Amino acid sequence: MLPGFLKGSMTREQFRKAEGFTALVLSTLAALLGLFWLVFILGDVLVHGIKALNLSLFVNDPVPPGVDGGGLRNAFVGQLIITICATLIGVPIGVLGGTFLAEYARGTKTARLISILADIMVSVPSIVIGTFIYAILVRPIGHFNGWAGAIALAIIMVPVVLRTTENMLSLVPWTLREAAFALGAPYYKVITQVVYRGAATGILTGILLSIARVAGETAPLLFTSFNNSFFSLNMNQPISSLTVTIFQYAMGPYDNWHEQAWAAAFVITIFILILTITGRLIIRWRYR
Amino acid sequence: MLEQIELRVKGLNFYYSGGIHALKQINLQIHSNQVTALIGPSGCGKTTLLRCFNRMHDLYPGNRYEGAIHFVKDDILSPDVDLISLRSRIGMVFQKPTPFPMSIFDNIAYGLKLKGTKKRADLSELVEKALHHAALWDEVKDKLNASAYDLSGGQQQRLVIARALAVKPEVLLFDEPTSALDPISTAKIEELMEKLKKEITIIIVTHNMQQAARISDRTGFMMLGELIEFDRTDKIFTAPSEKLTEDYVTGRFG
Repeated sequence: MLPGFLKGSMTREQFRKAEGFTALVLSTLAALLGLFWLVFILGDVLVHGIKALNLSLFVNDPVPPGVDGGGLRNAFVGQLIITICATLIGVPIGVLGGTFLAEYARGTKTARLISILADIMVSVPSIVIGTFIYAILVRPIGHFNGWAGAIALAIIMVPVVLRTTENMLSLVPWTLREAAFALGAPYYKVITQVVYRGAATGILTGILLSIARVAGETAPLLFTSFNNSFFSLNMNQPISSLTVTIFQYAMGPYDNWHEQAWAAAFVITIFILILTITGRLIIRWRYR
Repeated sequence: MLEQIELRVKGLNFYYSGGIHALKQINLQIHSNQVTALIGPSGCGKTTLLRCFNRMHDLYPGNRYEGAIHFVKDDILSPDVDLISLRSRIGMVFQKPTPFPMSIFDNIAYGLKLKGTKKRADLSELVEKALHHAALWDEVKDKLNASAYDLSGGQQQRLVIARALAVKPEVLLFDEPTSALDPISTAKIEELMEKLKKEITIIIVTHNMQQAARISDRTGFMMLGELIEFDRTDKIFTAPSEKLTEDYVTGRFG
């Protein structure tokens, strides 16, 4: 709004133009401000990360501080194992749950309630899930372990996969299901052989995006799988992950730790970018 | 020629969930190897009646039937009817083509696999036969592995008919099968029905009265959930006994 004395000296049309111009400038500035930080962060990670990137990072395990060389093989492998286990636990639960909501419980109050709860779960801070798993799977056992980490990540994935599956299945037209029923198909075959096919790309996209979502999580892993300076494939013991390693190395006092943290940040950023872009591309290619 | 009765509808009442009384005391007989058309203004219950024959209403909770539909000697509406085998004996083709998101071959093979055909060679033979049957073979024989969505609307509708025919139904229900198609595709489908009735019994719901007059042997005129008149098609269109029927077929309302 312009002050009264200015208003008086302008025609109504000029005033409206000025208003429109102000709105345009403000929203453009806001967009640029948001974009600035994004480009800043990505650029910084890329510049520092590429500088620190070398083969040793992927093939060697960490060496004691002060000793040159060494790598993060343990963290790359640990991250991979945790993410794969989380996917194997979280995706089936999410897909089957979404199927229940969209098919068997379609239109019921129960389905509505679960959908709303899932939406709330999506926005629960991941550290809350981390501490929860700490309480039920780390403290009773007595030590940090990889399974706890995988389960914490799986819990974060479930509501994302569940809601995407539900939405994608509801997009499949009902006449298609009726046509399959009319051929004498039982419901489970209608779902697995016809409806899933129709919704396959959408569900796949949801799975990819949910993996991208958990691949960058630090807080839940800090309380569950923690970290391990040694190469380990044992999910019953603490296991290293990229995000927790970045956290520790970036906070640490050594320069080569910092460099390796940059490199790890670079790798995980690229990984998540690839997953997200693939997901988006699939959506665009499918729903052109 | 001795005419056989395929389906006998007796005192059928149908209520949608929420209590809407959609079909009122329907009595009619569907003759074997004939085309029976159901006509009437929108909302008259003709599609509702059609969907009783394969118990499609059972997919939605709260719907309720009263009365009986005798199919050979069983009552379709009995609670112990096996819906899976009923629906493979009474097939259905919908208003909009409903190809499944898979290849042309797999679309036809779908129903066959449901019925237990597993061998690739048997499937190939039966798929080819069904496509010939629906007069689609020549158009698709070189692209059986292409997506069914690549076909035109008319071809998709014939593909769906082939898919329904592949499982060898005794009755085929058509729910306004040509209302989404152009005149040439419509003509092809009508020609097909004419040919098919030598082997199966056809019931068709149509909005198009010329279509009913062209292809059907018997016609039922429905209004507000009641069957007003049911007779030979030539009689319905030239000398109906009910005033309402006459008004409708001459275009005075509807």
